[in-house]
Amino acid sequence: MMELLRCEFKKTRRRYITLTTLGITGVELAWVLYGDYNPDMLRTGWMMFLYQMPLYNALFIPILAMVISSRLCDLEHKGVMFKQLCSIMPKGKLYDAKLLYGLGMMWISVIVSWIGLILFGIVKGFEGALPIRLYLFYLLFTLVPATVLYVFQHTLSMLFRNQAVAFFTGIIGEFLGVFSMFLSQIPFLRSILIWGSFGVLQFVGMYGWTNETRMSTVYYEVMDIDWLYCVALAAAGMVMYLIGRKLFCESEG
Amino acid sequence: MLIQLLKAERMKLKHSPVWLAFLLMPLVPALLGTLNYMGNIEILKSEWYSLWTQHTIFTCYFFLPVMLGVYCSYMMHLEHANHNWNKVLTMPVRRSMVFLAKLITVSYMILFSEIWIGVLFILSGKLIGMTGTLPLLSVMQWCLFGTLGGIVMAAVQLLLSLFIKSFALPVGIAFAGGLSGLIFLAKNLGHIWPYSLMAYGMNSNAPQQMMKSGYIPFAVICIVYTVIITTAASEVLKRRDM
Repeated sequence: MMELLRCEFKKTRRRYITLTTLGITGVELAWVLYGDYNPDMLRTGWMMFLYQMPLYNALFIPILAMVISSRLCDLEHKGVMFKQLCSIMPKGKLYDAKLLYGLGMMWISVIVSWIGLILFGIVKGFEGALPIRLYLFYLLFTLVPATVLYVFQHTLSMLFRNQAVAFFTGIIGEFLGVFSMFLSQIPFLRSILIWGSFGVLQFVGMYGWTNETRMSTVYYEVMDIDWLYCVALAAAGMVMYLIGRKLFCESEG
Repeated sequence: MLIQLLKAERMKLKHSPVWLAFLLMPLVPALLGTLNYMGNIEILKSEWYSLWTQHTIFTCYFFLPVMLGVYCSYMMHLEHANHNWNKVLTMPVRRSMVFLAKLITVSYMILFSEIWIGVLFILSGKLIGMTGTLPLLSVMQWCLFGTLGGIVMAAVQLLLSLFIKSFALPVGIAFAGGLSGLIFLAKNLGHIWPYSLMAYGMNSNAPQQMMKSGYIPFAVICIVYTVIITTAASEVLKRRDM
């Protein structure tokens, strides 16, 4: 497998995939961190990020998954390379190697963004100690949906030569996911959509906001953590991987 | 010449399912935006105008730019693949017409999306029993000026896809462009930045207000941008080895 991963690395040299990944992560961080931080925001900064980030992740991570998976698979589709590659190595291994390489990029992005948030909080002087336990939960609840989303996008990009199919499916799904986060009256919607999983795994809620007092009375609290959903999502990702791998192995290539 | 090229573009897109995405995508804000409106009816008091914000706010900032990015990438990808540029550029047609034909083809799709968004908006309002007078003229203006702004965005994306052979990268740029559009709108510069023109034209964040820059200057800006980008693209096609 290491050999295959090395091959993937060589194939993607000068294709700026890492740079693209870091670029999208940089745009997300700039988008999240930019703004005037008044004393109220500095007081609640650590918890505020935990509350806000799932929505930003629901916007940025699906796009990142679409771009990375498409970049990795399109280079094979373009040169009709799958037929050649599959004649010299097992198809399943090729599927796995590309998946692992792409997942590596996704995880780099999530971890860079996580470290960026923490460093920013420290430099900006957020009040109180960093709630490291909650931030580790947040990291886990970002990595799991990001991984599942990537498995889904990777399968689409591997199966369809026309990358527009993978993109359009991803965008419509992302749109549904983002909207579902605003629809508290139909909570099951975000549970059944992988793009809405960031919302289900959001474990910090904002309270105390009124039209008159605005942010001055706002406080954040930890809500119930849906561990069962997290496990179910990981299991769904596993099933998706098995189905995707099987479909790719049975495809013409 | 242009009509022949448009026919050729249509033939290239025959049996391609990309139009389906433009048909399905506006259904999401129509359904979920209406549900969100009904769930927050005590805050959203401007009836049709509030419903319009719910239908368009995410659409024109994030999702329509990305959809356009994918569509433009797809159109240029057809030529990048299998060295098709060599065949296209040896046809006895002007280079600028090649780009223009692609832009007009994308523009049809933008117009179709805008009309579909408008139709779904009116249907949703009627279905939930909106009692106020339907601002039909405003809806038509929003859709028309949204189309004009969208054409500028499509021209930029086509130009990017002309340079960048990757399918995915221009889509990422379209997403970042949509975000930048939001910033330019917040800084009251929405009428001059290509990626905010569509949201600006659709008046998605303040539909009750008239367009600040005025309709004629807005249309002029869109036309000037489109002409500049088309000229730049035809120069690229003339000089660059594709």
